[in-house]
Amino acid sequence: MNCMFCSSRIRLQGSVAGLTGLLCLLLWSSASAVEPDKGATITYEGGVRPVLKTHCFRCHGEAGTVEGGLDLRLRRLIMKGGESGPIIDIENPSDSVLLERVTTGEMPPEEVKHRPTPDEIDILRQWVMNEAPGVTEPDGLDPSEYITTAEKSFWSYQPLLQPEIPITNHPALVRAPIDAFLLHSLEGRGLSFGEEAGRHTLIRRLSFDLWGLPPTPQQVERFVGDSSPLAYERLVDQLLSSPRYGERWGRHWLDVAGYADSEGYTDEDTQRPDAWRYRDYVIQAFNGGKPINQFFVEQLAGDELVSRPYGDLSPQELDALIATGFLRMAPDGTATAANKSVAINDSIAKSLEIISSSMLGMTVACAECHDHRYDPISQKDYYRFRAIFEPAYHWKSWQTPNKRRQSLYTDDDRTQAAEIEEQAKEIEVGRTEKQQEFIQATFEKQLAKLPEEMREVVRLAHDTPDKERTAEQKELLKKNPSVNVTASSLYLYDRKAADELKALADKANEVRKTKPPERFVRVLAESVADNVPVSHLFIRGDHEQPGEQVSAAGFRILGGTLFPDDLELPSTGRRLQFARWLTSDRHPLSARVFVNRVWLHHFGRGLVNTPGDFGQLGEPASHPELLDYLASEFRSSGWNLKRLHRVLVLSTAYRQSSRPSEDGLRADPENHLLWRMPVRRVEAEVLRDSILQISGELLLDAFGPSVPVMADRDGKFVVGIENLNAGRPGAVIPLKGQDFRRSVYVQVRRSRRLTVLDTFDAPRMTPSCIQRSYSASATQSLMLMNGEFPIARAEQLATRVMTEASNELPPQIDFAWQLCYSRQPDPDELSSAINYVQQTEKSYRERHAKSDDRTRRQFAMASLCHALLSSNEFLYIE
Amino acid sequence: MTPHQAMTRRHFVASQSMGLLGLATAWLLDREARANPPKPQLTPLTHDTRPKLPPHRPRATAMISLWMQGGPSQIDLFDPKPELNRLDGQTFPDEIKYDNAAQSSAKIFGSPWKFTKYGDCGMDLSELLPHLAEAVDDICLIRSMHTGVNNHGQSIRALNSGDVLAGQPAIGSWLTYALGSEAEDLPAYMSLIDPGQLPVLGVENWSNGWLPAIYQGTVIRPAEPRIFNLDSPAKYRGQQKNYLEFLKRLNERHASRNPAESELQARIKSFALAEQMQYAAKEAMDLSQESAETKRLYGMERKESADYGARCLIARRLVERGVRFVQVFTQNQFWDHHNGIRKSLPNACLKVDQPSAALVQDLKRRGLLDSTIVHWGGEMGRLPVIQNDTGPTKIGRDHNTYGFSSWVAGGGFRHGHIHGTTDEFGHRAVEDTVHHYDYHATLFHLFGLDTTQIQFSRNNQDRSMINVEKGRVVHELLA
Repeated sequence: MNCMFCSSRIRLQGSVAGLTGLLCLLLWSSASAVEPDKGATITYEGGVRPVLKTHCFRCHGEAGTVEGGLDLRLRRLIMKGGESGPIIDIENPSDSVLLERVTTGEMPPEEVKHRPTPDEIDILRQWVMNEAPGVTEPDGLDPSEYITTAEKSFWSYQPLLQPEIPITNHPALVRAPIDAFLLHSLEGRGLSFGEEAGRHTLIRRLSFDLWGLPPTPQQVERFVGDSSPLAYERLVDQLLSSPRYGERWGRHWLDVAGYADSEGYTDEDTQRPDAWRYRDYVIQAFNGGKPINQFFVEQLAGDELVSRPYGDLSPQELDALIATGFLRMAPDGTATAANKSVAINDSIAKSLEIISSSMLGMTVACAECHDHRYDPISQKDYYRFRAIFEPAYHWKSWQTPNKRRQSLYTDDDRTQAAEIEEQAKEIEVGRTEKQQEFIQATFEKQLAKLPEEMREVVRLAHDTPDKERTAEQKELLKKNPSVNVTASSLYLYDRKAADELKALADKANEVRKTKPPERFVRVLAESVADNVPVSHLFIRGDHEQPGEQVSAAGFRILGGTLFPDDLELPSTGRRLQFARWLTSDRHPLSARVFVNRVWLHHFGRGLVNTPGDFGQLGEPASHPELLDYLASEFRSSGWNLKRLHRVLVLSTAYRQSSRPSEDGLRADPENHLLWRMPVRRVEAEVLRDSILQISGELLLDAFGPSVPVMADRDGKFVVGIENLNAGRPGAVIPLKGQDFRRSVYVQVRRSRRLTVLDTFDAPRMTPSCIQRSYSASATQSLMLMNGEFPIARAEQLATRVMTEASNELPPQIDFAWQLCYSRQPDPDELSSAINYVQQTEKSYRERHAKSDDRTRRQFAMASLCHALLSSNEFLYIE
Repeated sequence: MTPHQAMTRRHFVASQSMGLLGLATAWLLDREARANPPKPQLTPLTHDTRPKLPPHRPRATAMISLWMQGGPSQIDLFDPKPELNRLDGQTFPDEIKYDNAAQSSAKIFGSPWKFTKYGDCGMDLSELLPHLAEAVDDICLIRSMHTGVNNHGQSIRALNSGDVLAGQPAIGSWLTYALGSEAEDLPAYMSLIDPGQLPVLGVENWSNGWLPAIYQGTVIRPAEPRIFNLDSPAKYRGQQKNYLEFLKRLNERHASRNPAESELQARIKSFALAEQMQYAAKEAMDLSQESAETKRLYGMERKESADYGARCLIARRLVERGVRFVQVFTQNQFWDHHNGIRKSLPNACLKVDQPSAALVQDLKRRGLLDSTIVHWGGEMGRLPVIQNDTGPTKIGRDHNTYGFSSWVAGGGFRHGHIHGTTDEFGHRAVEDTVHHYDYHATLFHLFGLDTTQIQFSRNNQDRSMINVEKGRVVHELLA
């Protein structure tokens, strides 16, 4: 529904996408991709159909709508014309009705916002004037399923073949085949690679890239002093084998998977207490070098890999189940929204959006309501795709979030828990009796306050069950509200009694707490196959208007593979077949899309700069052969990601300096050809984690439940356990060091985005983040200048520097420089910093005459560290 | 697809703009899109607080809400009910919904305070509001407010964010989302909190809900530092200039080594702008620039009203500098007089009466009242019967959201006017009822907006401030 053409669905469901207009602006951005080559003959398929598809099919052909009897979806139907006759006049082409209607603006009708451009109208004109050529359309061709040759030959749908490695003029610069591809393009523009960056820059770049943290001064010293020719390779291997690597690269995948610890969708934004297991699964998959094809299969169909019923699970089986958390990441209002079926179908749609954008690099969301306007994805295609998932996302027997948790209790645990529950119940029975006594006693006291003559009547009214009360009795009770003592109002009369009852309730809870802790995983587990829904196309995306029946299949443009139910499995096995096909050698997109993402994170820009859209509206690849080379290598390596990292970071291209050259700036100012390494700002999480590491406070505990986020007194979201009293913050509950864990372990609650991260563009999961954006705003500067977080860390860093370096100022400054910038200060910088510290000490003494040396030094050093931590050299990686 | 996909990575500097990170739309763009064919757009959509023109000619361009949390007693302040005094002590003849049953009674409680007609308009006011009595010809009193939810939290939400449910954007967020702010170097929406406890619902009172975070109210604290992140922690205040100078040197050196990176320059500039914002905020809150006469007007020389007076004066200075929406809070349950009302209500009035009246008078003499809406009111009023009938000094009044009073002034509201009536006991609004959503529709109207058109897309739904009922613009309130 993220599309401009869905007004009909909007009317039907009132679920308007006002965003529609804007997204359409975005969608529209590169529609020129459909323009035919200049000079080539314009054919129906080769230029005209895309224009008509965008602007006209909706009323002239699609979904059974044939206004004026005119269907424009095939050339032969156009030639036939509509009810009022032919629309193309071959004899006098300039009199053709088609041209007249479009050039006068009569068509599309004026209420349609999205108008054909002059270029598009020109395409129609040239075509008609040239006798409207086109290929012969086979008889019996279904116009709604027509995919033209031009569409079929679009680059990203072509089989993935390993291209030849080009010859370059400077083979000495080629460390790896990828260098040859890049250099070949550079040489074509008279450019070459820049010089190699210095070792300090290289280790900093690698460390941020692979760990999301700066290197320690010891690591830098070791690497810079390592004279072995394999020093760089060794460093790369060391970085790739650390647990820090999975935390960094897992985060990239969590972006596209839309990882969140809360359901979103409605304002409650209910928490997802078990989602973190999926986060841990992802981090462990990256650390353990899990082949990416297996990673995909487990996420799409892990439940179908584990035999039923789920008993005592092996670690591998547990892993496979947890992996299906991927299919449960979309915003999910199915427990809280007013309109359940809308919420369910939205959740399914968002899940399909996540799957297709993350693994297929396709935007299919608009085909939910109508044929895709640009890519050859019909609405039927969409519902065939949806049918793969429908046995699991059975919208008519839907599992709300808390019903899809898989308990990890053993039988023993269960017996023990039942016994303890008995004991707790016993206490509660006693409590209920006591409560009745208290209520009765309080009632008597209240009764005694009434005039004596009233008491008996009021008592009678009170003791009569509500249904049997007379109107007078009801009136009487209303007039004397204080005798209406209930369990919930007792505390207003008798605090002591209420406290006593509370103590009993607490006791029951204490007993319950002695049960063996029950752990859950959040899974998608398809129910066994006797409840398989029949899948339908939904007319205009409205689930209340099911259209024709469809079977589970892949997109036709990718071969349209059918996924029939697997009778050997207890579930339908559709997702498992889909996952295996997706990761097979026949799939043109999955490896390309994944490799492109990895490239994006190493080089700051994808080879395809629209990592979630490899279709018509995406940007074409800057180096198509290189992309294919990497993708096919990746596949034949067994989808080995760490190997791919090595290939990329060991290249000459990656080791280049960021310094610009005049030639480069002139020929390729945007650096699309990679004649230097781009300078990149660190992501929000990297900023927070790095500051904590430098101050010496980072806690490297891995895994487990997320560190909670709460609102502080200002409404900023900070790490902490919420403790509210009528909405106001109460006492701070200590987190015992958990405050300073890596950001990937901090709760991602959609409605409470940690302010430090939010300010620096941490992603919003709506439903996922395909590509991050980076802003440079005054709000960020204010936070760096004055924020509690950076200043407190700078103070801690000053203490660290003064403790760990010698007592003299120069080595202290030197150490601070190394911690923050991974290099030593040059003499100018050192003297300027010494000067700053001394001036600051002096002015501090002027303000605080009685201060001692150490206090002054601490203050001045903290101010210096604060400057380093807010500086561009710290925020940007060369 | 998400908007990220079609974006080019681009960097930008703007006073408070943020990259669009999520589903979002601005109706203005949508409106433009309708007027003009869509153009290729490759840059990311941003949300900002730059000023935006409303579709209709606005009467008001700014608003100050004096938020009386707890529920001031309309019967004792704004809405005289001689019938209650006549029946004082007798049994209330009709049905009543109590919040606190244990202390409830059906005994009628006539107001202990005298009412007199004031001004050319002859508005009746209680003797507890002598200062407002001098400004009655400039205000419009609404005696028929109604939310119908008898609970502080829910009723606050209804009045402050349009819906009883949690998580909605506050009205200040909506207005800044729709209109931005005229003040480039100040936050667009400011919340001046009381030195006492935060009001019920705490920070939710100025929450942006699901609107982008730049539309959240910025808290102005009652003590230094007045605004977090807009001022250094006290310890570093004398140091900031040197720090910024040193930082600039570091950054310029770094930029000279990376001459092709325009973003590095942008960030250097953003520090300069951030510094400017600090000065602007400090200047706006520096009351030493105000005359003794003005301070006296606001009651700043009297202990009881000094703090509230100072905050009302800051509110005026903020609006003068182009801030769109300012809310001045009282502390937690300040007006929630369940008991001891004979003492606590006069005390509450001593705190706010003079500053509130002064704000109206001061805005007027500066020519700002025509374009600035002042609102005075809480989330409820109080019942006509006694609560806690345990002695004359102890009695109070329970909650009442079925008919209570608020007043508004300026920005296109009528003045010297009384709107709506409650029943003879002051319990329920019976004539010209103004529901919370009618009040919102009217405010939006004065800002040149329509509540139904200011939308934000969320989970495939266009959400506006009023979601459930349709608010009616109360034309009878308008000048």
